[in-house]
Amino acid sequence: MKRPSLVLMSMLLIFSMFLAACGGTNEVKNDPKETPKAEEPKKEEPKKDVALRVFSTFGGTDTAREAFQAAIDEFTTKNPNVKVDNDTMSANDDGFRTKVNTDMSSGNEPDLLFYFAGVDAQGFVDAGKVVPMNDILDADAEWKAGFTPSALENTRQKDGNIYAIPLTGFYEGLFVNKKLFADNNLELPTDWEKMKKAVSTFAAKGIIPLAAPFDQSHYVVEHFILSAAGPESQAKGLADGVDPNWEKGYAAMKELYDLGAFPKDAATIDLGMASNYYGTGKAAMILEGSWAFGGFADAAVKDNTTVIPFPVVPGGVGSGNDIIGGFGSGFYLTKATFDNADKKDAAIALMKHLTSPATIQKIAVANGGTPAAKVEITGLAQAAMDGFAMAANSKSINNPVDSRIAPETFSALRAGVQQVVTGKKSPADALKEAKTIEDENKK
Amino acid sequence: MKGDRKYILIFLFPMAAFMSIFLYYPFFKSLYLSFFRTKGFFDKKFVGFDNYKRLMSDDLLGAATLHTLEIMLYTVVFQVGIALILAVMVDNISKFQRFYRTVFFFPVVISGTAISLLFVLFYNYNFGLLNNILATLGLEKVLWLSESNALKAIAVPTVWHYVGFYFVLFLTAMAKIPNDYYEAAKLEGIRGFKKMTKLTIPLILSDIKVVITLAITGTMKVFEFVWVIARGQNNTEVLGTYMYKKALVDQNFGYGSTIAIYMVVLGVVLALVANRLLKSEEITY
Repeated sequence: MKRPSLVLMSMLLIFSMFLAACGGTNEVKNDPKETPKAEEPKKEEPKKDVALRVFSTFGGTDTAREAFQAAIDEFTTKNPNVKVDNDTMSANDDGFRTKVNTDMSSGNEPDLLFYFAGVDAQGFVDAGKVVPMNDILDADAEWKAGFTPSALENTRQKDGNIYAIPLTGFYEGLFVNKKLFADNNLELPTDWEKMKKAVSTFAAKGIIPLAAPFDQSHYVVEHFILSAAGPESQAKGLADGVDPNWEKGYAAMKELYDLGAFPKDAATIDLGMASNYYGTGKAAMILEGSWAFGGFADAAVKDNTTVIPFPVVPGGVGSGNDIIGGFGSGFYLTKATFDNADKKDAAIALMKHLTSPATIQKIAVANGGTPAAKVEITGLAQAAMDGFAMAANSKSINNPVDSRIAPETFSALRAGVQQVVTGKKSPADALKEAKTIEDENKK
Repeated sequence: MKGDRKYILIFLFPMAAFMSIFLYYPFFKSLYLSFFRTKGFFDKKFVGFDNYKRLMSDDLLGAATLHTLEIMLYTVVFQVGIALILAVMVDNISKFQRFYRTVFFFPVVISGTAISLLFVLFYNYNFGLLNNILATLGLEKVLWLSESNALKAIAVPTVWHYVGFYFVLFLTAMAKIPNDYYEAAKLEGIRGFKKMTKLTIPLILSDIKVVITLAITGTMKVFEFVWVIARGQNNTEVLGTYMYKKALVDQNFGYGSTIAIYMVVLGVVLALVANRLLKSEEITY
């Protein structure tokens, strides 16, 4: 009776080996040069039917979802031979990063990909999965002239090439509810003293001063570090040692926490809930980005919001007018599509359409982002105009600190927030821990 | 017999293939990755046992293990306990048995994430249901997800979610007990509580054993409740969420895989221990 089970076991074993072998060949196949059905005999047909897949985050609750779909429809009406699969995933969690990375590393690349530039893209850029756009841009002067030069500069990768064609940019800042400040006879927190006064006053009245979660404290960490360490030091990341000024950022978080700045349940809420507190008027301030307007539930809160730069923390070397922002994302053309003669032209045409000034204008109006093209944006809410004005008048616009360090290091910085504000760790220890992880990642 | 073997293999093959692709292949791939330092998806470097060394000295992993064991305790005691009590009670009634069976089983079919979102709205400090009730009664608001309380608060939906499943298993086991046993007991004058402890429970002991093993191994998989309700903060990090954070948020697949291997080993050890402790002879009716 033992025989069949033995046979089965060995079959299983052989099968798993076979699978492992499959995995091996797959990795080799990832070589972008090897594309299926690349060189098929070309006939002088008018126009072949082409199906393109565009992956982006313009889906779910994204405010630009409809504008983006409309832009795609416009293209397919003009080019009836092209079918576009508008593949989207929400940007609210880290899930879409996983999706993009698995797609890119397993030979399932979309034809056009809307994704971050910088460290997030470094992996597939280095692996040669996407095409440098420099030549394609230069070949079409009209298209290139449509962009603001700084927007294109901003998506340049370390190797000096532009891979991502930007659409709209973003800014981050301190969103404040003007009405709550006025009702409590407070001045807007343009410096640290005013900030402290506002925090203590709101805390005493039972209004949450600053709606910020500990775990998803991305914007908290970014702003406190920028204000404490200044643009240059934050741009260096943690590569060559810890700048002692960074500690001042964490010390300032603790100072505000001790005054009652954070929500009572800051440890367990997520960013969505924090935004909910602010959007329903329960909180007076929140650190957020230009995309946040769509998420504020109460229209009155939206109307009473203005955006200001985060004030300088005690001892900080920032100017008080440095903000976080840029054109951190754009459309990539994948190598597989570029090498596919059937798809190449259609994909480039679609890319040009999606990044034309007209489309950029529509998307920017919908999501409140800074347009990457020289277009007039009208009809935006006052708060969004305030945000643009803040970005326009700022002394420096900086890429967020998480684009300078490894993801695991940024997680450690975020995890440090609760530890430091509750006094379990000193700012220096929290940063030392992050530095250790950064060094591990550099190995 | 000889001719059958071919068919046995043919019919077993689809399942064997399925298991190989979705279970064994990922497992061995994780084992392979656990020897690498990974940066995102494209870059990996062989580091030998570095990840395992890190595993040994990782305080967060130790804490996550303890939290997982704590939840395991709650599930074994309350999930299995409540399921058993409910099953005994429902088994003793003749009317509405089907109704109760449906009602108690219902949470099992709801997605864990949906239940978690529900409990987020119960526990929320500012506008949660529980604090609203307290406020209407004129009482002070409570921070339900505080550092000392959060794990217990998460254990409540975790236990509740699967009680129905074990309840149905117990009920089926009880239905298999031949009626003559009960008739004999009735003649002897044994009823009520005594009937339960002396007759019903000993007769389904092997099923209880299975359920406890299922509960123990099931806790290794707890993820969505912790992730959605507290994001692993305030002493609620369990192994599932810690692995997810390391592998997918931090994009450190090497270390994430190492944690996965650790979870497999821990799960197998716990299941073996449970089996050994609960050893009992088989009962045939």
